[in-house]
Amino acid sequence: MFLSKLREAWICLKAGQVTLPYPFEPHDPAPGFRGKISVDPDLCFGCGGCANVCPAGVIEIQDLDQYTRALTFRWSRCTYCGRCADVCPEQAIAMSPLYETATDRADDMVLRLEVFMGPCGRCGRCFSPAHPLERMMVTGFRDDTVGGRPEARSVGPLEVAGCLRPPPGLAAAGEGRAHAPEGGQP
Amino acid sequence: MNPTTATKGLRSPWATQGPRVLERRLGSHLQECRAVEPDILWARVARHEIRTAVETAVREMGARFLISVGTDRRPRGEGYGIAHLFSLDRDGLFLGLECLVPEWAEEVDSITPIIPGADWSEREFRDVIGVEPKGHPDPRRLLLPDDWPEGVYPLRRDFPYHERPQAPQPTPPPRKEPPAGTTVIPLGPFFPSLEEPAYWRIFVEGETVVGCDYRGFYNHRGIEKLGDSVLTWDRIPFVAERICGICGFIHSTCFCQAAEKAVGIRPPRRAEFIRTLMLELERIHSHLLWLGIAGHILGFDTILMQTWRIREPVMWLTEEISGNRKTYGMNALGGVRRDITPEQKKTILDVVRKVEEETLEVKAAIVGDTTLHARTREVGILAKKWATDFCVVGPPARASGLPIDARLDHPYAAYDAVPPRLCTQQAGDTWARVVVRVEELVDSVRMVRECLERMPDGPVMADLPGNFPDGRIGISVVEAPRGEAVHFVMTGGVNRPYRWRVRAPTYPNLQAMPAMIQGQNLADVPITLGSLDPCFSCTERMEAVDVRTGTVTVYGRAELEAMARRHRP
Repeated sequence: MFLSKLREAWICLKAGQVTLPYPFEPHDPAPGFRGKISVDPDLCFGCGGCANVCPAGVIEIQDLDQYTRALTFRWSRCTYCGRCADVCPEQAIAMSPLYETATDRADDMVLRLEVFMGPCGRCGRCFSPAHPLERMMVTGFRDDTVGGRPEARSVGPLEVAGCLRPPPGLAAAGEGRAHAPEGGQP
Repeated sequence: MNPTTATKGLRSPWATQGPRVLERRLGSHLQECRAVEPDILWARVARHEIRTAVETAVREMGARFLISVGTDRRPRGEGYGIAHLFSLDRDGLFLGLECLVPEWAEEVDSITPIIPGADWSEREFRDVIGVEPKGHPDPRRLLLPDDWPEGVYPLRRDFPYHERPQAPQPTPPPRKEPPAGTTVIPLGPFFPSLEEPAYWRIFVEGETVVGCDYRGFYNHRGIEKLGDSVLTWDRIPFVAERICGICGFIHSTCFCQAAEKAVGIRPPRRAEFIRTLMLELERIHSHLLWLGIAGHILGFDTILMQTWRIREPVMWLTEEISGNRKTYGMNALGGVRRDITPEQKKTILDVVRKVEEETLEVKAAIVGDTTLHARTREVGILAKKWATDFCVVGPPARASGLPIDARLDHPYAAYDAVPPRLCTQQAGDTWARVVVRVEELVDSVRMVRECLERMPDGPVMADLPGNFPDGRIGISVVEAPRGEAVHFVMTGGVNRPYRWRVRAPTYPNLQAMPAMIQGQNLADVPITLGSLDPCFSCTERMEAVDVRTGTVTVYGRAELEAMARRHRP
């Protein structure tokens, strides 16, 4: 009994102070850490692959009109699995080491990209299923005929410097759902 | 599919004899019996003979009950499917006994009179599929909340996943009547020792526990329903990982293995080794966590502080390997997403060496601690018979002398190359469970080392087939730190399972709790429960149900206080 108490005391003494001074000093995560995702809007061409694999349904895709696809990232639901970064063919999405994402503004956890698209080669327009979960099933397409590099505009916390495209009239979510829902779930 | 598992299953005498034994007892009532996978024997039995079939499996074949799976097969014109899954441990074989219940009948013979451990499983399929287990000794509502209407079954295929049925006035299921002359002590739903909700009514005579009643399942998250209605094969591993906060990797591995088996994907060998490595790292940190919590429940916080200090480097290590300290996101169908680099290998060896050293120090310190002995020896004894009856798994089973370990019985991933040592104790008390866990912890360190030594080079992800076959079955078990987790997957024509069934280890273990606290002191109840290492969130992973405020207020503070005052001596 006495011996075990001595041993236990020795273990505690030997350990000393182990508490880190965080948050008074920054604590860097290990390399390869999957923190808040960062999106490079210049690289995104709106294929929607990220929305297709996201387990938490963070990424919503909405086609505002024939030429504009909006990608909304709702990070408050993000589980930091990094599947979007895996599948992005242009490496537009990367996992940053940021983990201090606490905020008192809901907007801080939303990023909206509006990607300039061409009309669908098959049906001539982008289709937009009614339900958000069905919307994630939409796989995108790339229209190279618009002239080289697709343009992107971001609203929300990220502002792209030197953005070429003027903001389209249909900025608010939902307004642009002009087309009847079709396609969607098989 | 692991080649060893496959051959082990094929070599088993029951692979050929099983159908014969069943046929001898059932005759023409055995409609079909064949090996759907090398290690899965699947029998379809006439509905009224299911109890005879289960009896044959348990008594003559020595099968251990795993879980019941209720499936709504009406879209396929087959009514409801009720399958009881068993494990033939020594043979590495799974046995499924299935009967089809026609739509007009909606009832099936209960098997709980034969296997007490099937109690919850049967109540669960009654709640979610709507097939009544006839002759069930305790047919109360188990997992649906109190304000869920009667006759609405959430796992039926025609029930949409986002449906919120109109909530009637909450009516809690009838409570068990306490024996005459006893006092009822409410424990929970906000639990004093574990930060998860469960509601126990402990019946005491003086200080001695004479019985108890349990109402749980406050943590429904609807994961299974999401799995067969919204998610895709690609997404489920990440959601499966969130079934449990501590053994997440176990559930994602278990799902991936079951799905890989059903679909016929063979993950690369290196991926299997990485899975094994991660599983053992998870066991190391989970056992350290448990040791700390057990100490904390006993008021011995030195253990809590020190084991959690020892544990922390393991969390940093997994962060370095996978990108996150928990919920690693490593598993995907066909393998793992990240490889282990040579530098990481060195870090892993350094970390586990330190963990081993310090764990042995703690072990040496606590084995002689008489305070600890006084609180754990002969406390919460789980007799071997009860452990068998309630189909208890994992360290509690091994501490009661049952030599079962999924890693040995159904060697999945790379456990055929890196076999664990079986750690058993005979006493069945809380101290025996401590000893088993500490031994496993040290053994896991050895396995991590051997895993790194024997890991072959190569790819870590297999190519997936373009189309997944329809109507295939996969069962996988993974030995979690708390016991054996079971995942059952049935493929459908679309990009998601037709049915996905999860059984967390706490599910059977918690059912043994009444037997363990019987005759104990009231003060020993928390540590007895704690010694099962229960994980309510993973047990209660079911159904598209939110626990609404209505449910919680039923056992709210006012009522608890009122109850406490009413029963005050």
